[in-house]
Amino acid sequence: MNDVITKEKVFNHPIDKVWDAISKAEEISTWFIQADFKAQKDYQYTFTSEPNEKGCTTISGTVKEAHPYVLVYTWIVADTNVETIVTWKLESVAEGTKLYLEHSGISNYEGDTAIAMFESFNGGWENCINGLTAYLKQEVNAG
Amino acid sequence: MQDRITQVFKAIADPTRREIFHALVIASSALSITQIASQFDMSRQGVTKHIKTLENAGLVVLDSQGRERFCNANAKPLKEVNKWMTFYEQFWDDSLENLGSYLDQKAT
Repeated sequence: MNDVITKEKVFNHPIDKVWDAISKAEEISTWFIQADFKAQKDYQYTFTSEPNEKGCTTISGTVKEAHPYVLVYTWIVADTNVETIVTWKLESVAEGTKLYLEHSGISNYEGDTAIAMFESFNGGWENCINGLTAYLKQEVNAG
Repeated sequence: MQDRITQVFKAIADPTRREIFHALVIASSALSITQIASQFDMSRQGVTKHIKTLENAGLVVLDSQGRERFCNANAKPLKEVNKWMTFYEQFWDDSLENLGSYLDQKAT
């Protein structure tokens, strides 16, 4: 057991399309979360989830690395002072594009902070993700 | 200074400590250092060292009675780590799922 979450997923799409989706504010805002984001080093970005009755949350951080096809930014959940690191890497493969995602740094959290972070984060965030999934389905149906 | 969750990862990285912790979890009452030493065929010093690491992580609470020290398991720190991992595992699965749908939709 360690404190790194890693995900790998292959998308049947060209690498530049996937890169745009994860690095352009307009596209991030469509599939992920409302974003003020620029894929340039040292940019201070903000992700804002849609408010709802449980209250959503803000994630902010600094872009550490941004060049095709590597994107690294710090990830700081509102009301916590501890940063974790999110790393995206893309690679062209025969089927399209392989995305490698890494989220590390839970060991930077004090135990009690982790609980507070989790509790403030969980309810609102899940609602927002559910909202986003519904939105995407709606878009697909409308199209 | 290492914070507690780092200590938890360090504590549970060692198989002997995991076994000692497990023995404490399933014990119906607190176990003394002497009892643990005989159960694991280890020296008291060896057990004391492992218990110290578990205690630093908050996984064991010590209770002194006379000259003997008794160990109680406390699983709460593990739950904190587990909650974080579980939450973000699901979060990223869902997000990448959304990314896939988005890319498919855009391509059509």
